[in-house]
Amino acid sequence: MKKHIQLFLQSILVAALVVMPSLAADDEALKKDLTSVIALQGLPCGQVITVKTQAENDYAVTCKDQNKYHIYLNDKGRVVVDKSK
Amino acid sequence: MNAPVANTPTPAAKTTPAPTKPPATAADSPIPLDLVALEKQLRATKAIGVFSKIALKNQVDDLMKKFREHYQGRTKTTMAELRQSYDLLMMKVLTMVQDNDKNLAAAIVSSRAAIWDLLADPVKFAALDA
Repeated sequence: MKKHIQLFLQSILVAALVVMPSLAADDEALKKDLTSVIALQGLPCGQVITVKTQAENDYAVTCKDQNKYHIYLNDKGRVVVDKSK
Repeated sequence: MNAPVANTPTPAAKTTPAPTKPPATAADSPIPLDLVALEKQLRATKAIGVFSKIALKNQVDDLMKKFREHYQGRTKTTMAELRQSYDLLMMKVLTMVQDNDKNLAAAIVSSRAAIWDLLADPVKFAALDA
């Protein structure tokens, strides 16, 4: 029985090790995407360092240069970048 | 790619000069523009994130609107200003793909002039915009 528990815990650990880098990669991809969006609007940022998902297609981001933006997809299908305080 | 070849006459060529057609250069041959394929590549590329693709599409739509208004005489935007906006947008797209999708970047570079030709001609633009 003890061996079963040990195997179960090991499999959870392996699964976590597989999933976590993938999540981290997703997070990095999102940061890169949002960095590009800000740059496309010609706004200063440098690089997005934190992303807070507020809703679907709605993010609050902080840039390396301390600028903060609210990035969202409006009902007309436009990506809007608003400067936050 | 067809590089221009220097024609150095050989002794045989001197005695029997045959009228030869100069080799075609890249500048001579028009680049075939496949906008549908280019659009497919842009939609499929992983070099641009989803949000960036939507933002780019917004900017393309804005530029098309500017051209439409220009040809309808509803704006004071000049063709030179439109060219500047077009160049800037192309630079943005290129910047986004050049590191991670070199094939797409090359396709965009080689299509730039042909796309501008479509936009800068009111008749071709009307057909494109229809």
